[in-house]
Amino acid sequence: MKFVFKPVLLAVTAVLLAGGVSAADSDSWAHLPAAQRPDPGTPDYTGKWAMPTPIRALKTTDGKEPPLLPAAKAKYAANQAALKTNPKSDPIANCWIQGVPRIIYASYPMLIAQDKDRVNLVYETNHTFRIVSLRRPLPKWDDDLDPHWLGYSAGHWDGKTLVIDTIGQHDQSWLDYSGLPHSEKLRVQERYTLDGPDRINGELTLTDPETFSQPWSTRFTLVRQPGYDLKENVCVRDHKM
Amino acid sequence: MRQMLVLALVIVAGMSTAVVAQEGTVRKLTPAEQAQLDTDNKGRATAMTAAQWLARRSGGNQAERKAWEPTPPPADPRDFTGLWQLPGGNINLLQENGEGAPFTPEEAKRTQQLIDAEAHGAVLTDAASQCFPHGVPRLNFAPYPIRFAYLPGEILMLHEVGHNLRLIHLDRKEAPKDTPQSFLGYSVGHWEGDTLVVETSHFNDKTPLDFHSSHGTKLKVTERFQKQKTSQGYTDLVVHITIDDPEHFTRPFTVVRHWPFRSDMAATLGADGITEYSCEENNRNVETTSDGRVIIK
Repeated sequence: MKFVFKPVLLAVTAVLLAGGVSAADSDSWAHLPAAQRPDPGTPDYTGKWAMPTPIRALKTTDGKEPPLLPAAKAKYAANQAALKTNPKSDPIANCWIQGVPRIIYASYPMLIAQDKDRVNLVYETNHTFRIVSLRRPLPKWDDDLDPHWLGYSAGHWDGKTLVIDTIGQHDQSWLDYSGLPHSEKLRVQERYTLDGPDRINGELTLTDPETFSQPWSTRFTLVRQPGYDLKENVCVRDHKM
Repeated sequence: MRQMLVLALVIVAGMSTAVVAQEGTVRKLTPAEQAQLDTDNKGRATAMTAAQWLARRSGGNQAERKAWEPTPPPADPRDFTGLWQLPGGNINLLQENGEGAPFTPEEAKRTQQLIDAEAHGAVLTDAASQCFPHGVPRLNFAPYPIRFAYLPGEILMLHEVGHNLRLIHLDRKEAPKDTPQSFLGYSVGHWEGDTLVVETSHFNDKTPLDFHSSHGTKLKVTERFQKQKTSQGYTDLVVHITIDDPEHFTRPFTVVRHWPFRSDMAATLGADGITEYSCEENNRNVETTSDGRVIIK
């Protein structure tokens, strides 16, 4: 049951844009308990979103191959070769939690629930969520972190742009469907900027001195899905149900 | 990096005579600090040393230290944000309420058969132990932290255990007509005063209610969530859970649980107090004994 981006939603978006109704400027946090409402003027990313153009293989912002170091290039080639003979060599075929940034461009919608202290990013794919604190900084003792599939994230505002930094991810996850690898030294910066009420321009910067010769960036787009009702989506390998 | 932190510590806490002399050598923790370190280390595969813990506590600027301070329970009775956790979660419908649940004769027989089989060494497996969602209300009996999040017209429950995710619709009175059956069902909610009333239906029949009793697809669960005020503020979230399944029970019955507010855990490293629980990779419910027997907890 793959999510299909429906043209009808595009139509709804167009009407909203034409009507000049801007959820971002309304400063309406009425759904939140009073003590949890962000300061007036804080951009509001709350809602249901989906990526209209799925991304299979990450490229840099100017369309080039990521700047892989020789060993990582060999690993990428091996992952791609394995995929051709065995689609289950993809880590997500084991139903393991997708890492960051791959979870962002899973082919299912997501929710953002924002309050004063945190941004909750909730993904339909395999009922996965990230709770990103806007209050607590990233841990500093990197060497002591147990790697997690989703790593450790902290968010902050850069003007109207929501910035999320993530470290401490497992190196078993892939960065995309094509098998792009990374190490545990990966640092991901996500930048979300509202472009009108119903579109988010996203930018990713990936820094990983064991995989890439230099930090590099790529872009993505999220489009609002008014009224979308998140489904129960479950991925379990080898079960008896 | 570590050395810089240590240096900063020496400067900041220079008045103390027995502060960090060099990496790995630290002053003795007070009993309260040791208890906090033990708490912070729970659930971590690699325990923090006293030196690392002190660096975390004392390092950084004042704003950073403040950021890691626990937040008190919100004073608003409808504000469920924060971290809640059932201590030592368990559920046994045979003993619940001192009299057991009102099983139909068939369900009583099924339940007893499973208990007998387990007593004879059978390994029971269920949805949760295979990394499927736990089902409702079973999810409410898991001893893991829970966070609530608010969207317009919806409340989310984000559970650490198995990254279970519940969505409660406040903007409608019933499930849409074409709603499929699912592990966690379809939930609609409304406020009655300061009580969040959640009604859930459209379950599949694949989740157990406790560890031995089952339910059918006609199950309807009503949860009433209410914050309970004590002298320390709203320290508990109380949930009254009414189970209504005419195919398995002769009448609806209610079980109650208290979820304490865990401000102390909110500073646990990770997703603001929710540690990543990857059931798919490392199922904490399953334990293999030294003689190779698999125990589903």
